[in-house]
Amino acid sequence: MIRIERRLTQPRWLTFVVPLASIAFAFVVMTVVLLITGHAPLHTFRLLIDNAFGSVDALNASFVAATPLIFTGLCVAVAFRMQLFNIGGEGQLYMGAIFGAAAGIALGNHSGWLSVPAMVLAGAAGGAALALIPAVLRAYLNTNEIITSLMLNYVAALVLNYLIFDSESYWRDTSSATAKVFPQGKNLPPAANWPSTSLGQLVLPLGLLVGVAVAVLVWFLYNRTRFGFEVQVIGDSPRAAGYAGMRTRRMILAVMALSGAVAGIGGASQDGDFRHTLDPRGLSSALYGYTGIVVAALGRYNPFAVCVIAFLLGGLQNAGYALQGADFPSGLVGVLQGLILFCALGGEVLIRHRIRIQLRRPAAEATEATA
Amino acid sequence: MLAAGGINNSIVVVVLASGIVYGTPLLYAALGELLAERSGVLNLGVEGMMLVGAVMGFWAVQRSDSLAVAIVVAAVAGAAMALIHAFLVVTLRANQIVSGLALTIFAGAAGLSSYLGNDLNLADQPANHSFAPFLPHSWRSAKVVGPILFDQTWLVYASWVCVIVVALYLTRTRPGLNLRAVGESPAAADAMGIDVTRYRYLHTLAGGAFAGVGGACFSLAITPQWVDGLTAGSGWIAIALVIFAFWRPGLCLIGAYFFGAFSGIPFTFQARGILTGIPPELFQALPYVMTVLVLVAVSSAGARRRLGAPGALGLPYSREER
Amino acid sequence: MPAAVTLRGITKRFPGVVANDHVDFEAAEGEVHALLGENGAGKSTLSNILTGLYRPDEGEILIRGTPVAFASPREALGAGICMVHQHFRLVAPFTVAENVILGDHRGEGKKFVVHPRRVERRVAELGERYRLAVDPRARIWQLSLGEQQRVEILKALYREAQILILDEPTAVLTPQEADSLFETLRVMAGEGRTIVFISHKLHEVAAVSDRVTVLRGGKNVATVSTKETTPHSLASLMVGRDVAATTRIVWEREAGAPVLEVEDLWAVGDRGDDAVRGVSLSVRAGEIVAIAGVAGNGQRELAEAVTGMRPASRGSLKVDGAPLRLGDARAAIRAGVAHVPEDRLHTGVAPSLPIASNVVLKSYRNRDVSYGPLLRLATIRDRAAELILRYDVRGGRPSLPARQLSGGNLQKVVLAREFYGRPRVLVVASPTRGLDVAAIETVHGYLREAAANGVGVLLISEDLDEIMALADRIAVLYEGAIVGERPGGEATADELGLLMAGAHAA
Repeated sequence: MIRIERRLTQPRWLTFVVPLASIAFAFVVMTVVLLITGHAPLHTFRLLIDNAFGSVDALNASFVAATPLIFTGLCVAVAFRMQLFNIGGEGQLYMGAIFGAAAGIALGNHSGWLSVPAMVLAGAAGGAALALIPAVLRAYLNTNEIITSLMLNYVAALVLNYLIFDSESYWRDTSSATAKVFPQGKNLPPAANWPSTSLGQLVLPLGLLVGVAVAVLVWFLYNRTRFGFEVQVIGDSPRAAGYAGMRTRRMILAVMALSGAVAGIGGASQDGDFRHTLDPRGLSSALYGYTGIVVAALGRYNPFAVCVIAFLLGGLQNAGYALQGADFPSGLVGVLQGLILFCALGGEVLIRHRIRIQLRRPAAEATEATA
Repeated sequence: MLAAGGINNSIVVVVLASGIVYGTPLLYAALGELLAERSGVLNLGVEGMMLVGAVMGFWAVQRSDSLAVAIVVAAVAGAAMALIHAFLVVTLRANQIVSGLALTIFAGAAGLSSYLGNDLNLADQPANHSFAPFLPHSWRSAKVVGPILFDQTWLVYASWVCVIVVALYLTRTRPGLNLRAVGESPAAADAMGIDVTRYRYLHTLAGGAFAGVGGACFSLAITPQWVDGLTAGSGWIAIALVIFAFWRPGLCLIGAYFFGAFSGIPFTFQARGILTGIPPELFQALPYVMTVLVLVAVSSAGARRRLGAPGALGLPYSREER
Repeated sequence: MPAAVTLRGITKRFPGVVANDHVDFEAAEGEVHALLGENGAGKSTLSNILTGLYRPDEGEILIRGTPVAFASPREALGAGICMVHQHFRLVAPFTVAENVILGDHRGEGKKFVVHPRRVERRVAELGERYRLAVDPRARIWQLSLGEQQRVEILKALYREAQILILDEPTAVLTPQEADSLFETLRVMAGEGRTIVFISHKLHEVAAVSDRVTVLRGGKNVATVSTKETTPHSLASLMVGRDVAATTRIVWEREAGAPVLEVEDLWAVGDRGDDAVRGVSLSVRAGEIVAIAGVAGNGQRELAEAVTGMRPASRGSLKVDGAPLRLGDARAAIRAGVAHVPEDRLHTGVAPSLPIASNVVLKSYRNRDVSYGPLLRLATIRDRAAELILRYDVRGGRPSLPARQLSGGNLQKVVLAREFYGRPRVLVVASPTRGLDVAAIETVHGYLREAAANGVGVLLISEDLDEIMALADRIAVLYEGAIVGERPGGEATADELGLLMAGAHAA
């Protein structure tokens, strides 16, 4: 019989020790899985760490993998602070990519440095527009935003497919005969390629820096402003917010739009930083949006922690990708991510609650047997 | 016979028949999710549980040469995945949404199902056995009803039995009444001596077992082989379907075939060169859009009560919380 | 003959509190035994232990002399113990009959296939015999709170419970309905059942019980025969010092101009029906006007409509003579309408946020608290510290989450914030529910002080004693409409009770 009691106070050290312990525990479980299936755990982990963080090239690749996760992680965290579950980051990222690419193509090569901020804004607008659908339904019709935002991911994915594979849209490359047979997106003009920053041998994509800047902005907004105060109150008790005269509906729209906008910038960064075209297959196979939920949950919805976790998980994903095939068990990174998240969820309970294990007294068992 | 062939080849019959084929895995998964949700546990890990069911079912049929064993193995594998979710959300009272998504990431494509499939070398193997239509040829070629109702596998007929059993269980039996009470008002159920924890565990596990069988429908009947991520999002449609069906098994059946038909329509239309002006994505998006509309319709508290959304869905229950 | 129930040395600890500290308790067959104590004295915890919901950390339970250890409510039910909780444990979409057979393991309930229809006749019979009429086919959400309570008692009767525990059963009843309940309980006791009646109201205990056990601070302080005691001595036992019964304090004030004028106000309730139906009233500066009524007659909706939390479908409001926009809480706050809500923990404060945030819950937009869109965090902290000191919020510090305060101290935080805004009108709903006697006195003191300072107070309460002690005028709300008004000094409980039951005075 396991009993769980709420802690009156949460010891501070627990908030650091528990996440670390849950990651360690996840690796222990993974070790068992690897041993059962006949893999050498230490060797596998070594490969994983080396390919994630072990060299300059690995680090650079991890930055690339971490960039979208910062955005989708922040997207979830921004909404969750007001107890809104936006799991539509996936679709909002697609919309951001669509709008961002449109802006990049439209501005061509003539507007110089204007292209990059225009793509950021367009991407944000695209993400926000999609996020506003569940937001309006939630605010005015009280429709649960979890499932609606989830469903819209699929709709957005289909829109993305349609634009490149089933139509001759603005985004599709129709310039050559091969492009008509093998559909692909138009290449973005060079002005729409986002510049990266070099730090010694390390290469930081612009999107990564934008993501960290967004994290700082979100932290400031939520901890120092009236807007953030309202978010905290509504998130804690909507009734208290109504009592205090807060405009809850408007805030739902604002926060969801903000959340979608963050994911949308992530989509624009995919266009500008890495793919240089609207790439439905690449975007939808990576599941950035869903991984973002993991990132946000592991980072306990704190914007700075989200950045750190995004880097760690991005590293793992990058390593898993680099090691595909050969003697490296496929699916391992997903299993490991899932395990870490399970352990973190269990750990969360440890932070908030005290767990007592009670043995049933014999008398109790006797009465139950007769009952 | 010629006339029958004509009708049986007509677009309506073909779409309906494929609706049943593609709807069957949805139906199993949705029935399972319905049981879990009726107990108050929302499990967004359906896709993951289906994929693990698919891979383990396929492995079992390759090892044992028995389809019955394969279905049992798939069900057990799905239930094992659900057990993780149940432990986290019922015992530890973790957030049901995050836990369910974690389950999908853990078990789904690029997760455990892919790990197992590759480790057990299941890729690119032809199935030793698969479910096939078994009724006599004369039945299967009967007008209209032949291809729709008789040209189907055991999995389809078993799913009909499951629908009836689940529907009767919910409405007519004591455990069904208790289950609904647990999902509506765990505090009331607990006060009347119903073991909330046990009901939630059992029905979450049953949900996983159904999802596992749903996944096995792909690897043992539709495909029939193992490919990474072969369910292609069916788990999410199943979750939508439960809402679409207002948490009722009978409506799940109708909805499953409806959604199944929509996923098949684009290919049928393309093959016949009709309605080529309409992009296939439009049909594929319909189940999702309709689910959103249904969600809107059941949004008000009053409507929810009448239409059957469990009152305590997604909420952890703890007796001593003060 | 051993007692029906015996508890010996029961101890139950929750994080941070000892709810029961070595409590002894004994109730005989055929007895109505009252469990008397202030809020927080440990009555509910003790009854939850008796019904198997909680497990005691120490001590033993004996049923008819046999030691038992209940691991779950099911085992307690099996031993014939049933409880009517303060918040009913009913499944809202189920019918009465379905609720009655839920979890039953005998007769109709033993079968795998259930037939609620077959139970309906038996439920109707029981209802007739014990004067607990309710339609067995009705769904719970269609019933009033009083009817729902009958369903809870029917559940116990159907299961042939020998020991019935009722937790504060009269809170949802008119005085007349309460009398009828007492008769039912006496009949049940006459049949040899044991009734444990939990209450903090002295006159109820005197009216219904044979013996009284008094709990204070989690400890058993006395068990006495009701006949040999007086309400006054019970009150002293309950509170731990000599207390005067709540008396009316009359003091001279000049009632000023009307500060709140409500004209034909209508508002829709959560179920979609009209919960407030054409209420008109006015409160003058320095006056306390009380709204009496049984719970669920539109009190909450009225308070919310007046303070702008709930949109009003018709009518008008004036504060200090100026019309107020309906359904706009922000406008009401600006106009000087303060509000102490009924649900102080989830409406009155944001429970997980620190006291500092809660102190500026309504004023965070003001110049002195924020600078443009930015908050002045230091100012907020200082103000919280100041108010904690001035209002004597025990155990409070600005960074402490509000939920960790006790009920009385939480109410002080709410009052401190509401008074800080220098209101013209104060709407208070059940301001002392769940508080102990000392805290009740403090709160009443603040309300009188507010009136003395010229604030118009609208007091909405289900506690007639409180209303009669404080109000200058008393209006009675029944089914959302005001059915009568009496001057505070002249009204009697009987007269008000009849009005509360909807018997319109001619």
